[in-house]
Amino acid sequence: MITGRTRRRLLETCQVIAILAFIAIMLVPILWIALAAFKEHVDVYQLKLVFEPTLENFSRVFAEPYDLGTKLFNSTIVAAVTVVIAIPIATAAAYAFSRFRLRGQTLLLVIILATQFVPAVVIVLPFFLMFRDLGLLDTLTGLVIVNLAIVMPFAVWMIKGFIDGIPIDTEEAALVDGSSRLQVIRNIVLPMAAPGLVTAGIFCFIIAWNEFLFALILTSKKAVTLPIGLALFKAEEGDLWNLMAAAGIIIMVPMFILALLIRRHFVQGMTMGAVR
Amino acid sequence: MASVSLKGVTKAWGSVKGVDDQSLEIADREFLVLLGPSGCGKTTTMRMIAGLEEPTSGDILIGERRVNDDLPKDRDIAMVFQNYGLYPHMSVRDNIAYPLKVRGTPVADIGPRVDAAAKQVELTALLERKPKALSGGQRQRVALARAIVRTPKVFLMDEPLSNLDAKLRVSMRAELKNLSHRLQITTVYVTHDQIEAMTLADRVAVMSDGRIVQLGSPEQIYNDPETLFVASFIGSPAMNLVAGRIDDGVFSTTEGPLLTLPDTAPVREHGQVVLGVRPEDVSVVAPGEGDIDATVFAVENTGDSVLTTIRLGAETLVARSDRYLKTDIDERIGLRCSPDHLYLFDGPSGKRLR
Repeated sequence: MITGRTRRRLLETCQVIAILAFIAIMLVPILWIALAAFKEHVDVYQLKLVFEPTLENFSRVFAEPYDLGTKLFNSTIVAAVTVVIAIPIATAAAYAFSRFRLRGQTLLLVIILATQFVPAVVIVLPFFLMFRDLGLLDTLTGLVIVNLAIVMPFAVWMIKGFIDGIPIDTEEAALVDGSSRLQVIRNIVLPMAAPGLVTAGIFCFIIAWNEFLFALILTSKKAVTLPIGLALFKAEEGDLWNLMAAAGIIIMVPMFILALLIRRHFVQGMTMGAVR
Repeated sequence: MASVSLKGVTKAWGSVKGVDDQSLEIADREFLVLLGPSGCGKTTTMRMIAGLEEPTSGDILIGERRVNDDLPKDRDIAMVFQNYGLYPHMSVRDNIAYPLKVRGTPVADIGPRVDAAAKQVELTALLERKPKALSGGQRQRVALARAIVRTPKVFLMDEPLSNLDAKLRVSMRAELKNLSHRLQITTVYVTHDQIEAMTLADRVAVMSDGRIVQLGSPEQIYNDPETLFVASFIGSPAMNLVAGRIDDGVFSTTEGPLLTLPDTAPVREHGQVVLGVRPEDVSVVAPGEGDIDATVFAVENTGDSVLTTIRLGAETLVARSDRYLKTDIDERIGLRCSPDHLYLFDGPSGKRLR
């Protein structure tokens, strides 16, 4: 006979095993990359956990011909500028969608989201032709514009969810207390939506940071970003996994630090607007 | 301080009329309660005064000034919301100070005025807390303090007590009454609770379907209802209402003659009529001594009084007697209706017959 307590214990054990398995599946590839980044090229395919670590891979990726420093700089600028432009504009749009009754509002919202349904591969060629004519090929400005188009619909929807979660009473109280609409937004809405804005900002940053297809087609030399930089390691002498791993770590680490720094806001943001 | 006037104000959403051609004069320093069931247009009326809704037609005046096109901030009002509308990211002190800050009050003045307002509603010890760490009653006080920290022309209160538990509501009601007496500021107060209306108001406006159906002092509304709606809405337990007809001064239901009307009754003959009498105007007597003999259906002791319910065919009648009355279910009793407190209403229109 299995008593209630044994059953519960069994269940708990199964849960722990399942969680560990999940973590392993998520982490093993990252661990492999992390190890490979510190290995010699010859050791990469050996699953040795004990080896003599080297930092040579990191110095090689920053040197010619790979020059990862420039790409790191490009990626940072593109992602940061995208977020800095996208969040204020998306907030203004989301506020209007959330608080004012506009003609054709639902349709507009659907259209905004519908732009995301078009596969990127389909529109990358028109983008290429347009950017060629405008002289935006291989420029950071061009990449920022493309990334804005990618993240904006997403940001508007997400931030609208957070603003919807702010009780209208609070805003009306501020209006009666003597605020103009802009003061209401600055003094009441923005502070209350802050965790949501941070969350949306991070999502946008991650999307822009990892964006691959447009960067691949629209850049060639000067404005190349990190994800494209990774492709350079498929060289004539084969796949340079150790260098790719080192570059991968460089791509991952800023995201990791960012996530650590703002995880409190992030959780708050994830739980505020959506569930109410 | 200022009077408030509504002149033919209508608020419509498409074909739905929330407030229908409403006119109302609220005197300076008056405490006016808008009373009615949900959906009667009372909150919409208040929100139009506040400037949170735009009237479809008509004029709103605060003092002598037409404010239709003024923003809420330019109307010099303060409002207490049903859900308090506190700023959750600010401390109690900053919540109360907000109306002063945003209106550019000199910083040196803000502190003392916040302290004074907090003292009036006994919040001094909680000034540094965030609203999240307060109980419902305390949040309500913050909302009140935020309203009284300035001296606005008009106070607007939208069901401010409805989120509090019963006991707290009674004590806050008394505090509100005291506060309004001390401050002497024109107040418009929205509620669906008739006790709040009766206890707080100088005048009560009873609303139904977007219109004020009766406007008068609490005594007038209670003692002299103009329509069946007002009669049935005010009073707890509600007024006894029995449908029937009057022939030669005798009121009968479908069950047969019920009682002979006094000579002072406004009509001697009337087809469809509703007879109203308040429970406290019905007394329990020995069988044969009253107007009606009946069998007790239920007895409820509310502590301060006893409610005796009887069935008359499909209708029920409730008598409120003092707490020492002893009757039992199925006992035969007589009921006597005070002849001076019978109300007659025309059946189809619901209008009082006078």
